[in-house]
Amino acid sequence: MVRIGNREFAWREGVTVADLLKELGDPYPYAVARIGDRLISRPDFDKAAVPNDSEVFLIPLIAGG
Amino acid sequence: MAEVKVREIQTFNYERPAIQKGYANQTLHVDLADSKISVKPVSEKMKEIFVGGKGFDLWFLWNAVKGSTRWSDPENALCIASGPLGGTPIYPGSGKSIVTAISPTTGSVMDSNVGGYFGPYLKFSGFDALEIQGKTQVPTVILIDGISQRVRILEGSGLPSDAHEISEVLTNHFGQGRPRNISVVSTGPGAKHTLIGCLNFSWYDAKRSKIRLKQAGRGGLGTVFADKGLKAIVARWDTVTTVTNNPVDEATLKKVARLHSQEIVDQDPKQNQMSLVGTAHLVTIMNDYDLLPTHNFRFGQHPQAPKLGMEVYRALFDKGYDGCWMGCTLACSHGVKDFVPATGPQKGRKVFVDGPEYETIAGCGSNLGIFDPLHVVEMNFYCDTYGLDAISTGTSIAFAMECFEMGLINKAHTGGMDLSFGNRASALELLHQMARGEGFGRVVGQGVRRMKEIFRKEYGADRVIMEDIGMEAKGLEFSEYMSKESLAQQGGYGLALKGPQHDEAWLIFVDMVHNFMPTFEQKAEALHWFPLWRTWFGLCGLCKLPWNDIVPADNKQTKEPAKVMRHVGWYTQYFSAVTGRKVEPADLITMSERVYNFQRVLCLKMGFGRREHDAIPYRAMGPVTVEEYESRKERYDKQLKETYGIDVEGKGTAEKVKILRKLREERYEQLKDAVYERRGWTKAGIPTLDTVKRLGIDFPEVLDVLKAHGVA
Repeated sequence: MVRIGNREFAWREGVTVADLLKELGDPYPYAVARIGDRLISRPDFDKAAVPNDSEVFLIPLIAGG
Repeated sequence: MAEVKVREIQTFNYERPAIQKGYANQTLHVDLADSKISVKPVSEKMKEIFVGGKGFDLWFLWNAVKGSTRWSDPENALCIASGPLGGTPIYPGSGKSIVTAISPTTGSVMDSNVGGYFGPYLKFSGFDALEIQGKTQVPTVILIDGISQRVRILEGSGLPSDAHEISEVLTNHFGQGRPRNISVVSTGPGAKHTLIGCLNFSWYDAKRSKIRLKQAGRGGLGTVFADKGLKAIVARWDTVTTVTNNPVDEATLKKVARLHSQEIVDQDPKQNQMSLVGTAHLVTIMNDYDLLPTHNFRFGQHPQAPKLGMEVYRALFDKGYDGCWMGCTLACSHGVKDFVPATGPQKGRKVFVDGPEYETIAGCGSNLGIFDPLHVVEMNFYCDTYGLDAISTGTSIAFAMECFEMGLINKAHTGGMDLSFGNRASALELLHQMARGEGFGRVVGQGVRRMKEIFRKEYGADRVIMEDIGMEAKGLEFSEYMSKESLAQQGGYGLALKGPQHDEAWLIFVDMVHNFMPTFEQKAEALHWFPLWRTWFGLCGLCKLPWNDIVPADNKQTKEPAKVMRHVGWYTQYFSAVTGRKVEPADLITMSERVYNFQRVLCLKMGFGRREHDAIPYRAMGPVTVEEYESRKERYDKQLKETYGIDVEGKGTAEKVKILRKLREERYEQLKDAVYERRGWTKAGIPTLDTVKRLGIDFPEVLDVLKAHGVA
């Protein structure tokens, strides 16, 4: 199981952040996702495998500096 | 620990006014030349036009200087202020001070904001702002004691020079057993020998029993401080509560403060985790998006960048509460405990290091081609204790390193030092030399603009390439973001009043990554609204991080997510609750617009503030060298073909560099036109008569300056 916000998704081998975003159906252009202490930027969403039993935080990142 | 010996030079007794609606309604003025201390009232008109904070600072600076005043002239006024909301302990980020003066590196108006307790303690002691003019040969400490209601000018011979030491001895001396009652402003030995000195503002970390430091870094304000003969300014105040500001509507203040505080507590763990890692989370993100400066802003990405990432610093930071003002739930001022420097006067001793934050990591790490997190911590420590701006230090060393690698300078100039990128020992040695005023460090400490002149005149280096790669504008070194691929951020840097510091407009992500402003007009609008909104924090004594570093969970569903309008609404209520002025969000923008335009005219008065001063080096716009182009060939070729309809087939890289450069430089000039128009400025970048009249800043002296520049 993978959790994003208040939604839960069935985990499968090799599922990526991009796959989960597609399932989530949220069109917002998130810049970064965080899984535990690991930061993943959008260019890597389709390469970043999500481990089972993890929580994915989607970070809007409009700030900085 | 050095024993403090101070000799009384002047004492001024005063009756501390009750704070009313966030204002002390008077300001403090010290002339060091004749040890004169005076107090001036704050009029209702002054509050209406200038609000407080930076607005008050700039008004004093305007009245203090002539157009011919140089930074080292006695009349240059170093001004420090909080603001009407400053010192509120329940609203996140309400402890900022803002400092202004004529800058040694730009020759024009500089402003720099900083955390720590000084600004609120100054206000609660009875003064909305402090103005210091004059110079003295006597090493001087100014004590503003709000408890005993006395301002004292003291001779502080024999006091240590290092910021950490002097802050500690003065806190212990004046604190009378209550160190939390003290905030010290100081600089360090580097400020005396360079033009990039910073100011350190202290706050007492009761849980660690440590004196902590925050920096007003930009533009050499520490150098002005040292040049005046100041060793320190000390504020002494007692307990701070919600009602110390005497807000008009305490219930509303408590309500919005609770909402914002709680939201940060709820959302920060799900977003940037700033209460754990500060701004260190940005390093790998910037790297992923090709925005992390490496090797003097040549590139935005490096495979070793994760060595400087959040996970590394999370492990290094000492756990605990790190709010630089009381009650801030963002609490992002992290530090490293028991760090043992490998070089310099503190070599082998355990020290506490305040930081590093993102700018220092990028400036003193990746931009120097150094990917050693402990090296960055050591650079951070010595920048602070020597009183040197970590951003200007990093960007200046990066420029020197690239010049060395290009063969523009060599070991004969550097005193035998190998300044290749990645050379940690040389970077640290330059820092120690800056503090001692010796060797090549003394040259680097002049900043990028003067280095270009020295390298050209004394070493015969090529001017043209140095103008392209020297990352300064208006004389100020760039802060640590790559702007090559974001036109809006090029404007954010180039059109910033004081020079390329991101606190006025940080638009890279909303422009380049999110593409929230695809059209030219939208970029111009952003370069109107964001600088004005960010200016407002500096008027009020606030930190801008709680505004948009953590956002509401549903922010993305709002019409303009980049503006975080729910927070803007809370700030509007906060302002009304403290001051009693009934305002709408648009009114906050108008407040800023007055001060912003006034600052532009003050720049004009000082001989700057025109279109030509808004120029930026080409490295901030695009690839200077063939190597840079080739490294992102696909991107640049695609842009030439798809955006500009250029047939790149058969063209060599050097030719493509030239074509792209022409197009990008034209685009930047077009952006200037659009932004000037939106701001109500002429094509020369000067506020029009209509603009200053509309804003109510059409004072005779403002009109005189405009007239002298052809605007009448």
